[in-house]
Amino acid sequence: MGDLATPEPSTGATARPASGQIPRRAAAGRPLPAIPLRRSFKERLGFWALLVVGAVVYAAALDVADVSLARLWDGLPRLAAWAARAWPPDLSELDTLLYRAAETLAMATVGVSFGAVIAVPLCLLAARNVSPAPWLYYPARFFLNTLRGIDAFVFALIFVAAVGLGPFAGVLGIALHTAGSIAKLWSEAIEAVEPGPSEAALMTGASRLKVVVHALLPDVMPSLTSILLYMWEFNVRASTVLGIVGAGGIGQELKNSVDLLLFDRVFTILLIILAMVTAIDSLSAWLRRRLT
Amino acid sequence: MTRPLLATAGLSKRYGTVQALVDAKIEVAAGEFVAVLGPSGSGKSTLFRCLTRLTEPDAGEIHLAGRPFHHLRGRKLAAARRDIGVVFQQFNLIRRRSALENVLSGRLGPTPLWRVAAGRFAPRDIARGRDALAAVGLADQFHQRADTLSGGQQQRVAIARAIAQESRILLADEPVASLDPATANSVLELIHGLTRSAGLGVVCTLHQPELAMRYADRVLTMDAGRLGVRPGASRG
Repeated sequence: MGDLATPEPSTGATARPASGQIPRRAAAGRPLPAIPLRRSFKERLGFWALLVVGAVVYAAALDVADVSLARLWDGLPRLAAWAARAWPPDLSELDTLLYRAAETLAMATVGVSFGAVIAVPLCLLAARNVSPAPWLYYPARFFLNTLRGIDAFVFALIFVAAVGLGPFAGVLGIALHTAGSIAKLWSEAIEAVEPGPSEAALMTGASRLKVVVHALLPDVMPSLTSILLYMWEFNVRASTVLGIVGAGGIGQELKNSVDLLLFDRVFTILLIILAMVTAIDSLSAWLRRRLT
Repeated sequence: MTRPLLATAGLSKRYGTVQALVDAKIEVAAGEFVAVLGPSGSGKSTLFRCLTRLTEPDAGEIHLAGRPFHHLRGRKLAAARRDIGVVFQQFNLIRRRSALENVLSGRLGPTPLWRVAAGRFAPRDIARGRDALAAVGLADQFHQRADTLSGGQQQRVAIARAIAQESRILLADEPVASLDPATANSVLELIHGLTRSAGLGVVCTLHQPELAMRYADRVLTMDAGRLGVRPGASRG
């Protein structure tokens, strides 16, 4: 690089007086100063320094993450043996496993619906253009980011301790985490809406709440619904593992089977999860396409 | 002349270093069509936004029928706005709602929140909305979704909204700039008719002098944020 590069019109380059090669408008008759074809030595040095720092950080990350190709290599025969034992899939307890899958689906659906209910007031507070209390904007943002920042898995872990084992703990975990995610995406969708129709409604003498209900919501409803469907689909996928912390569903069976090295059963469970997730993804995508 | 419907004094607005509106004084009587003529960027939209208080002016007074409007807040501001109908260049209809539902926006002020939320406007208001749509020539389009209407039809819906609102003043910001010439004339004809039939006071910003001359009772000019009088532009 470097040979062809003319100084880029980036703000960084133009703002620095040191790289003053960007010509000002030439006075009449005077030739423009030549633009050097190579980047300056200082600029090239900076680029290589950045590259070296990046490489060092990445190497440190590989080391801390304990990456070892040798151990992967040693583990391969074990994986192969397990894979061989997974066939044929164990269908003897299919009805139990299907019930557990239904539990996962129910947990995700109910959890997302609870999350949506919590998200309604939160997203209104966190959207600048509709917030009834602008001084609550940053607290609301902070609160929903906290909910979003703690995974449903972590919430479920805590709720298992509080309300006991089973899908209800999963429902509560999904509800809290998803409330944050839905509120964030909803508030962004509301902030992105064009202000014109709401301004027109406001000028009829309507209160802000009436404007939101009559003019703004109909405009954003397709985006809000699409976001809700996406969160549902996402949580059906994510909640397959909630059973690992004891929060019910197919994940519980998965963990038990892996612990007991019943790989034919694990294989059946994975097939069920795959079928369920594919079906839900397609259904959700189909529904979202129909929104206009 | 009786007390003007709309009167401003010293209305000013600055955006950063740009003085968008300077000391604007404007008076509009009932039944009067006042055009504000100026090129884009001259401050017409700033005037419109300050008159509606969709943007707060930095200074100045606005009086509606003699009552101060410039300092109102909250409920009182909303109540006073019932007297001001608006028409925008970009129509600004609620795209996914029907023509009738858009016209019923004009009844939001007196309608209780539960009715708005349930979408159940009072039968009297619905009748008024239908009449307003019929009056602008859209009797066949009651249930047509707004975003499926043509530009001229959408602007007629916006005017019908003002009619249903029973506002005494109509503020129109470049209402025909997005329309073809024939449609533009019919829309201005409609607005002009309302000044005569309903005694509406109209402030309408435009950039085509010939349209201003044809429809306005009085033409003001706008240049670099300053209002002026167009010499010899009154048609009485």
